[in-house]
Amino acid sequence: MKISYNWLKNYIDLNPLEHSPEILAEVLPLLGFDVEEYEKLGPPPLEHVVVGQVVEFAQHPDADRLRCCKVITGEGEMARDIVCGAKNFQQGDKVMVALPGAVLPGDFKIKASKLRGQPSEGMLCSAKELKIGQDHDGIMIIDPDVSLGTPLNALYADGDTVFDLEITPNRVDVLSHIGVARELAAKFGLAVKYPEVAASRQNEREGDPLLSGVKVSADGVCPHYTAICIKGVRVGPSPKWLKAAIEATGQRSINNVVDVTNYVLHETCQPLHAFDAAKIRGGQLEVRMASEGESITTLDEVKRALRADMAVIADGERPLVVAGIMGSLDAEVDAGTQDIVLEAAYFDPGSVRATARSLGLSSDSSYRFERGVDPLGVVYASLRAVDLILQVAGGRVDGDMIEVGAEPPTISEVTLYPERLRQFIGFEVSDENIQSVLESLGLAVAVHDASDGRARWEVSIPSYRQDLQRDVDLIEEFIRVYGTEKIPESPVVARGISDEDHRIYSVNESVAHYLTGQNFDEAFLYSLRDPEETKFFFGEASHAVLALDNPLQSDQSHLRPSLIPGLLDVLKLNAARATGATRFFERGHVYREVKGQMVELISVGFVIVADTVKREWRQRELADFYTARTIAAEILGIAGTAANKLSFEPITECRLWQPGHAAEAGDFTKMGYQATAGLLNLATLKERWDLDTAVIAGSVLMTPQFFERKAKRGRHTGVSNQPATARDLALIVDQSLLAGTVQQAIAKFAKKATQGFDCERVEIFDVYEGSGLPEGKKSLAVSMRFRANDRTLKDKEVNAAFEAIQKLIAEKTDYQIRK
Amino acid sequence: MQAELNTIVAQVGEKASSITTRAEFEAFKATISGPKGSLTEVMKGMGAVPKEDKPAMGKLINEAKTAVQAIFDAVLEGLEAAEMAARLGPPIDPTLPPPDAGRGTLHPIAQVREEMVNLFRRIGFSVAEATEVETEHYCFDALNIPADHPARDMQDSYYLPDTLKVANVSQHAEEKYLLRTHTSTVQIRTMLEAKPPIRIVAPGRCFRRDTPDATHSANFHQIEGLYVDQNVTLLDLKATLDHFVKTIFGAKAKTRLRPSFFPFTEPSFEMDFFSPDLGKLSNKWLEIMGCGMVDPEVFKAVGIDPGVYTGYAFGMGIERIAMILQGVDDIRYYYQNDVRFLKQFA
Repeated sequence: MKISYNWLKNYIDLNPLEHSPEILAEVLPLLGFDVEEYEKLGPPPLEHVVVGQVVEFAQHPDADRLRCCKVITGEGEMARDIVCGAKNFQQGDKVMVALPGAVLPGDFKIKASKLRGQPSEGMLCSAKELKIGQDHDGIMIIDPDVSLGTPLNALYADGDTVFDLEITPNRVDVLSHIGVARELAAKFGLAVKYPEVAASRQNEREGDPLLSGVKVSADGVCPHYTAICIKGVRVGPSPKWLKAAIEATGQRSINNVVDVTNYVLHETCQPLHAFDAAKIRGGQLEVRMASEGESITTLDEVKRALRADMAVIADGERPLVVAGIMGSLDAEVDAGTQDIVLEAAYFDPGSVRATARSLGLSSDSSYRFERGVDPLGVVYASLRAVDLILQVAGGRVDGDMIEVGAEPPTISEVTLYPERLRQFIGFEVSDENIQSVLESLGLAVAVHDASDGRARWEVSIPSYRQDLQRDVDLIEEFIRVYGTEKIPESPVVARGISDEDHRIYSVNESVAHYLTGQNFDEAFLYSLRDPEETKFFFGEASHAVLALDNPLQSDQSHLRPSLIPGLLDVLKLNAARATGATRFFERGHVYREVKGQMVELISVGFVIVADTVKREWRQRELADFYTARTIAAEILGIAGTAANKLSFEPITECRLWQPGHAAEAGDFTKMGYQATAGLLNLATLKERWDLDTAVIAGSVLMTPQFFERKAKRGRHTGVSNQPATARDLALIVDQSLLAGTVQQAIAKFAKKATQGFDCERVEIFDVYEGSGLPEGKKSLAVSMRFRANDRTLKDKEVNAAFEAIQKLIAEKTDYQIRK
Repeated sequence: MQAELNTIVAQVGEKASSITTRAEFEAFKATISGPKGSLTEVMKGMGAVPKEDKPAMGKLINEAKTAVQAIFDAVLEGLEAAEMAARLGPPIDPTLPPPDAGRGTLHPIAQVREEMVNLFRRIGFSVAEATEVETEHYCFDALNIPADHPARDMQDSYYLPDTLKVANVSQHAEEKYLLRTHTSTVQIRTMLEAKPPIRIVAPGRCFRRDTPDATHSANFHQIEGLYVDQNVTLLDLKATLDHFVKTIFGAKAKTRLRPSFFPFTEPSFEMDFFSPDLGKLSNKWLEIMGCGMVDPEVFKAVGIDPGVYTGYAFGMGIERIAMILQGVDDIRYYYQNDVRFLKQFA
């Protein structure tokens, strides 16, 4: 919100030394009103810009839009020729002249030259060109009393400064010059001078009343409505002070009446509305809910459909104002207006907000009503506006103020224990100190002694500070004005013993350090992905469940079910930029559909380019399924699942993974975890990512609930120090049979076949397919290791067990033992 | 006999220089000192030597044996040295590029997150976690952000459809799910589960419905801090955050608490800092976090008695801090993952 330094001076005595604009720009943020920027208005120091007079002018012979003027800048001087594009001046008008040698803002150098063949020795300037105001429609016309040759900077000695303040939503009262003045007064110990209003004017009525009545049927939206009628105003341009004030707030001056309503809004924070009384059909106003199907063309010239939950101010026929938000073109005050009706009201913040939101329409009024204006400030603002209208536009008040409803209730007192304030802030301040800070804000303190000896204060709250409802709100007021820079510095006090970190964090931390140790770089990717991709990889059900209700971008409409597609984007980008990078991982949350519901999961994903991407003098072995399987298992191991509990099963049909070259273990819906590892689908990589390389990847999913399990502590069971004996066996089995199945079968037989000692390990150590074997068969070499706890095993007993195992194989399976 | 011995020694000496493999050596050795070797044959001839000549002859044979053995030893040593050299191959060139990948790099945001979390851990905070999908209750209502607060506008938050259920994120009633807009949700979830004293930091991903540009990203990361106990004061808040700023940005950094407004803290502040050592950003006040004393309404929403306990809370954007520390001027670089960018923070 824009606040003018000059305007503030109407309410507080700002001393140019102690309260200069520069000082205010430092102080305001520390009071809680951040200064986004501040700008000096008025002309910068400009030489060779002086007041001149147009003694005569004529149409430019070769340009319709130009005039050739004769201008003098001193009595009896020779007139100089100046060509000008503006038309808003008459012969004899005094104007601002930039003479050759002047340098205007924007490094615009003025030189004697010719314009379309006519000599021009200078320029007649607009307010905007001189940074005096917003006006760019024509050149500045200067008061005829100003003497010729007066330099611009002498004429505008008191340039204004405008602060653009960021006001937090709790401080509606500061959305006004009086509000800001009050804050500065509190900080600097100044007195606030409120403009006096002529409350007891004799308001005779003459002739027919402008309004036969005001009816409020939407009293939930409008608890308090006032209207004052003024007859015989002369609508016209605003005087200089009013225009300057309006322009300082970043608006354009419209006419004296409308400018006054805007002025009072920016002065008091109370929005007002002026109707052209002649345009109120039926002579009656009603605050009512709109009917379905009604529409209004607001001042911004947009026709808007209204709904039954929106309040309007209407005449007998049509809505004239969207209540608290914006008026219509139909009842606008314009040059022909003679009589006006001035509205000041309190509108319910929630309704104004809801209406403004549904209409997508925000105004200075709605912005303030939404935040809750001073419930007791309506009448004052109305009377203030009346005074100003009479001052700048003439006219007379016709009859008394029409008032419907009553001021809404306000909070008037809050209890504060000064001792609690000291406890809360943690350092000593005296009662007197606290009291004087609160009183500087207009909060009156009544000191009571509570029965237990603690001082209890009843603090009166002004009606414009309805944000102050609890003792903590008063504590905030104290610290804000007392100054946060006075909070002492102190050492950090760390009391007690800290808790354990959440396991999701500590596991993630270990996983990241493990993976960087495995040469992976960490990537961070967006959680929102393309809808088509979601459908392509995870199907219709996921596509339906993972959709956002209100995506911003159509290619970021779905929550990601997997980290892998994002990581492929990273590989693609790095490949395109030839960075040579081949290994990435990400830790992040992913989302899955389970039985029509969404589940949020903790995930780790990694990708490895399994192709030679650059020429190297020595090539290491490329990653394969087993690389990814180990890494995936290790990640789950860090999270607390023993690697030997994982049983991987091949993936047979999948668009993301390459069937037959990737496998999956676990099931997050049952066990809380799931791991997938192996080769990514080659066709998909080529098609969707334009990647020609093979990519080995792994993805681990864990439910947040999985991390709530307590890690098991290991327990010593003793290890044998006796020598081990090994036996190997070659088995011919179906090519499709999984090694794990064979291993498990042999381990089971070995357990059965050994007594008094153990077969401690059964391992597949060789796989052979090819010549010498029947079609569709492969050979698996199995090693078994036997050991006893208490003695060296004798060959005889090991042989017996080995025989028994082979017998079991022959009996229970169709594996052939290769002799 | 002496002549024979001399011949054998000379022969061994001659042949030795041409032996290049261990097999050759063993075969040659057998022709000399094997059961049928020439030297063995000579020694067998000792039986026929007259008794008085035996000491002299024995001495000669021993001399010959010693000489042969010395040659054999030398050959063997030579062979072993050659084998060792063959096993070693040519000497390495330490300047060739190593074919193995080096250690990977944590993402620059993760590095800053870890640095921040560790700092708070050292002064007694521990890490809390919660889901990214949340409900309006935990994201707004319980944090005293009323239903018509601007932060709840549809354009600011990503919502999930009304009909959707999230199996592992609990609702308070039947309120809508959304993607959390701040990590303050973790405050609520934590306070509902734990009793004071509570001292947590919660790093995590958040979402805002912003058009992406140099400083806005559809998702970003925050760290939330919360300390609730008896007698937690504003003085403590300032001490903790001053410590944070001076640790992260250096002892020369200055801080200020600028009064502000958040529905979930009262009083509320923005913390700014000022440092002479930040390159282009030196010597100006930079806003880095919001903070304040926990609002009594928040305590009421989670069943903690605001008459007994007080607390402070703070929250800051990790990307914001990372960008200042790392001199990154566009947040989107963090999400592109060009390895040349990532490795600048190795």
